[in-house]
Amino acid sequence: MIKIKNLTYHYDLNQTPVIAELSLEIKTNEYVALVGPNGSGKTTLIRHLNGLLLPNKGDIWIDDLNTKEPALLPQIRQKVGMVFQNPDHQIVGTTVEEDVAFGPGNLNLSPSEIRQRVDQALEQVGLSRHLKSASHALSGGEKQLLALAGVLAMQPSYVAFDEPTSHLDPLARKNILQVLMDLNGRGMTIIHVTHNMDEIIQAGRILVMDQGKLILDGTPAAVFSHMEWLQKIGLDVPKINALVLHLRRMGLELRADILDLDEACRELYRLIKPDHSNEVQISKV
Amino acid sequence: MYHLGQYDPGRSLVHRLDPRIKILFTILLSVLILQTGMRTGIFFTLFLGSVFFVSGIAFGRLWQALKPALLFFAFLFLLHLFFTPGRPLLPWFSGAFAPTREGLLLGALTTLRFILLIVCAALLTGTTLPMDLVHGLERLLRPFNYIGLPSHDIALMISLALRFIPTFMLELQKIKEAQISRGLDFGSGSIFKRLQKTAYLLTPLLLNAFRGADELADAMESRGYQRGSRTYLRELCFSRRDLAVAGLMVVMTWGFIFRLQILKFFKLN
Repeated sequence: MIKIKNLTYHYDLNQTPVIAELSLEIKTNEYVALVGPNGSGKTTLIRHLNGLLLPNKGDIWIDDLNTKEPALLPQIRQKVGMVFQNPDHQIVGTTVEEDVAFGPGNLNLSPSEIRQRVDQALEQVGLSRHLKSASHALSGGEKQLLALAGVLAMQPSYVAFDEPTSHLDPLARKNILQVLMDLNGRGMTIIHVTHNMDEIIQAGRILVMDQGKLILDGTPAAVFSHMEWLQKIGLDVPKINALVLHLRRMGLELRADILDLDEACRELYRLIKPDHSNEVQISKV
Repeated sequence: MYHLGQYDPGRSLVHRLDPRIKILFTILLSVLILQTGMRTGIFFTLFLGSVFFVSGIAFGRLWQALKPALLFFAFLFLLHLFFTPGRPLLPWFSGAFAPTREGLLLGALTTLRFILLIVCAALLTGTTLPMDLVHGLERLLRPFNYIGLPSHDIALMISLALRFIPTFMLELQKIKEAQISRGLDFGSGSIFKRLQKTAYLLTPLLLNAFRGADELADAMESRGYQRGSRTYLRELCFSRRDLAVAGLMVVMTWGFIFRLQILKFFKLN
């Protein structure tokens, strides 16, 4: 479990804090999406999770390990993996396997153990066939998967993603999101920072940040129901959820927890279903 | 793009040697080649020629490595030819800057030395994966840890440099295209003007690199990087072949140092 208590952080002590008195708990195996406009402090927040940044005030515990203890940092960094925005700036190795081996090498594992972890991590993200390829020759999406494999090889319990899809094309984006779902299904805790609202319906829980504060925390349906609030801080509710919300407000009896297009279609169809006599007549004609 | 030092995949005896022994052998050969005379020069040419043959690297690759240096070789040769005092090469052409026989020989020897050095380097990098090369270097430098030379960090620096060459090349290409599309013409103007224009390429490239370096440092720290010991995917192992090559190195050094006595023994000198 990740526990954050009264976290305050300033980049510059004279200015207003980037994060102010923020408290939060993230349970094991949750899929948490962290959204907010630019400058809301979401990237700053997740950089605290593995001790890249240390709080000015307050504490963060990763499974009861406080990030303020320098001696615990190697352990914390093994537990909390981090995938950044630009895949080109996080690949260290000239070949795919060398890159994945970087983390386990830092953990001082034996060559045979490293080999096993490299193979396993590449298998998990579906890059096994590129084992010996030069890392710079991969496509953008594959590079991001490689960055993820490098993190997975350290066998973390939590992985924080800082806008992992912002440099990718739609297909690669879809692929990454699927991999996140799979990892979560296998027990990994995912913290996913994004400002693309379409990506977060797959999260179990959404946190909305604005000006260094947590302003909303709940299931996607609950968060989307505060549409006006979200729009006020510059976030867009996905079209399909906005539609459902509008229809409900206009009095249509739709379920409140509809999240995706398929569900919305089925629900709408149930409501406006043509009666069967008509259908038979149409088929006769 | 850059042919000198590109790895040529293969399974030859030279490829399979331990990178440490290859690095040491290259250093030894370089020292000997720089000391070499005409006779030993012929020996080294034959020796490197046969190693090259065994390695199975295509001759075209060697040519690509040598081609950029041709102008330099010509310059070097002519410099020696004209500026070495001695007996004139052409009886009707004498004076301070006349070509001399001594100059001809010295020029040929110096050029041969440089060609052999390049062949040596091309053999090393052509038969060794960059990562293995870095790894071998790290292992060789490890004893210097005791006097404060951080071998792991040096190895990491080199491998990061290797890793980012293609990335920066690509970025440079993008910046160049962006600048051209804004009307900057890199193909015209005096040399001075052209040099000035490269600033429009290098400034954004450097800025990007620095920004990237910050992110890279974060990513590396997140993956548990810290100074001090670490392990590698591939451990180097010193085999019997490597021992044989080490033996050869000792014999060569010994032979080179005592070559005069050897030549005398065979009544060659």
